[in-house]
Amino acid sequence: MMPVDAQLLADLQLWYAREARLLDERRYDLWLETVDEGIRYQVPTRYLTAQGDVGDFGAWTVERELTQAADVFLIDDDYAGIRTRIERLQSGMAWAEMPPSITRRIVGNVEPGEVHEDDGIEVFSALMAFKSRGPRERSFLTAQRRDLLGRGDGDFRLRRRTVIIDDTVLMGENLSIIL
Amino acid sequence: MNACVDLIERSVAPDASWIRPDIFADEALYGLEQERIFGRCWLLLGHESQLPEPGSFFRTHMGEEPILVTRTLEGEVRAFLNLCRHRGAQLCHEDRGVAKSFNCRYHGWAYACDGKLLAAPGEKQLYYGELDKEEWGLVRVARVESYKGLVFGNFDPDAEPLADYLGNMAWYLDILLDRRAGGTELLGVQRWRIPANWKVVAENHVGDEYHVGFTHGSQLPRPIESRAAPIPMAREIRPELGHGIGVDVIPEDISPGERGGFDEEVNEYLRSIAGEMRERLGEMRPRLFPIHGLVFPTLGMIPILNSIRVIHPIGPGEVELWSYCMVDRDAPQRVKDILVQRSIAAFGPAGAFEQDDSANWTGVTRNTVGHQARKHRLNLSMGLGHEGEVAGLPGEVGLTASDINQRGFYLRWVREMTGESA
Repeated sequence: MMPVDAQLLADLQLWYAREARLLDERRYDLWLETVDEGIRYQVPTRYLTAQGDVGDFGAWTVERELTQAADVFLIDDDYAGIRTRIERLQSGMAWAEMPPSITRRIVGNVEPGEVHEDDGIEVFSALMAFKSRGPRERSFLTAQRRDLLGRGDGDFRLRRRTVIIDDTVLMGENLSIIL
Repeated sequence: MNACVDLIERSVAPDASWIRPDIFADEALYGLEQERIFGRCWLLLGHESQLPEPGSFFRTHMGEEPILVTRTLEGEVRAFLNLCRHRGAQLCHEDRGVAKSFNCRYHGWAYACDGKLLAAPGEKQLYYGELDKEEWGLVRVARVESYKGLVFGNFDPDAEPLADYLGNMAWYLDILLDRRAGGTELLGVQRWRIPANWKVVAENHVGDEYHVGFTHGSQLPRPIESRAAPIPMAREIRPELGHGIGVDVIPEDISPGERGGFDEEVNEYLRSIAGEMRERLGEMRPRLFPIHGLVFPTLGMIPILNSIRVIHPIGPGEVELWSYCMVDRDAPQRVKDILVQRSIAAFGPAGAFEQDDSANWTGVTRNTVGHQARKHRLNLSMGLGHEGEVAGLPGEVGLTASDINQRGFYLRWVREMTGESA
């Protein structure tokens, strides 16, 4: 096992907690400041598929379930796409979020991964996201986040995020919140 | 049955200028819909491009029935109820893949991808060699037919041919399906549940141009005052009762690319295929820009954003929407990528347009289930008596935004629900 960089882990956990809070408090402009302008933000579709030949178990089994070449994503945003998403939420006519959903994002299982040559760091984490607009509009999902965070100016910035939702059919009417 | 017919007659005006939301909420009507709508109409199964090789398969639904669609080793497309003939267990559990045969995990009956029963464990010792394997093959969907790449199924062996069912709608579908020699391919699928009655979703696709200016206000030019004048709206066309399409007729001085607001790379592609389109579709159809539409009952489309969807009903109060992107198969990969990204930014569960649609559909369904709310009429009168014809456009035409197609949808629904045969 790799030696734990306790300071790095603490910094990451704090960064994710703050990010979740900014989104839950709908402070989108502050959240956008944590996002790199070169970002790619993707949420793949997911399928129930065969896991390959016997003996091949464990080899990229999750990847087999995700968006393939002849597929579409649920979300495939660049920075402009994310900005447009936020402008929509702030437009006063985004009815799916008016009044806005009450949300809670809980991020755990924070696991630093590979460090890139330019100091970018890959981070795996697990997300629980709850949203409510009253007793008849409640939904809950869990997902894995696979992030690439850049480091500079003493803080992390989100350069890439892939959100792998733990469902093949999305429940809860729509995907109106940022994951 | 008579109670259902009474309810239908009480709840849909003879000219469909109003309906009562009873038809969204009533459980018995929903049961009858499974028999008479989903049991008799042509329903989209998918696209030939989803079955690229012998043994390719995918799962889908026809109404509430679980369906397995396969390409046989001989290359034919077939569809079956996805259940083992032995004890009714679910046969295929994967969403898609390639398989030479399907083994039931309950007792091990094995079927070929053409549906034949290949083997049952203990055939000789336990069944004494008396099991008639010809008789116990998978239950085939009675009819499977393709229209220019799109594959449809119908449970009714006596159903009219698919081409007749589409009627004049095919003339408009060809603008999408037949504009290039290489045809189209279907990419996806996005799947999500919306707590809405399937007809609420279908009527929005078939003809609701009216909602765009308000529901989708977040996506239209701002400030709102700048579009105080009526926004340009597509012509609503009813090629056949029940089917509908909204079509923009592009003026001569605007290119289709400009009308669609595409990136330059896509415009360049559209210019490069303009000659081929004219050759295949004639002079008029390349200047028609389909915006939205529906093939009765549940094949929805948003062609302006390359979206094709099936509205699968899950009980009277819920649907599972399956949304695909459709692109020209021979378009450059870069053009496909741009079109897909543009499509899913607008439509699908996270799309800037469809999020707000789903919120409306949910609200209609949820708030009309009450005893009081069900009794009151909802208005579908826009443009009634102002339908017309436009030279060269097959079908009846709403001369501006109009409920003509929604009325057609509900009249077709009544016809199917009250008719003894299709």
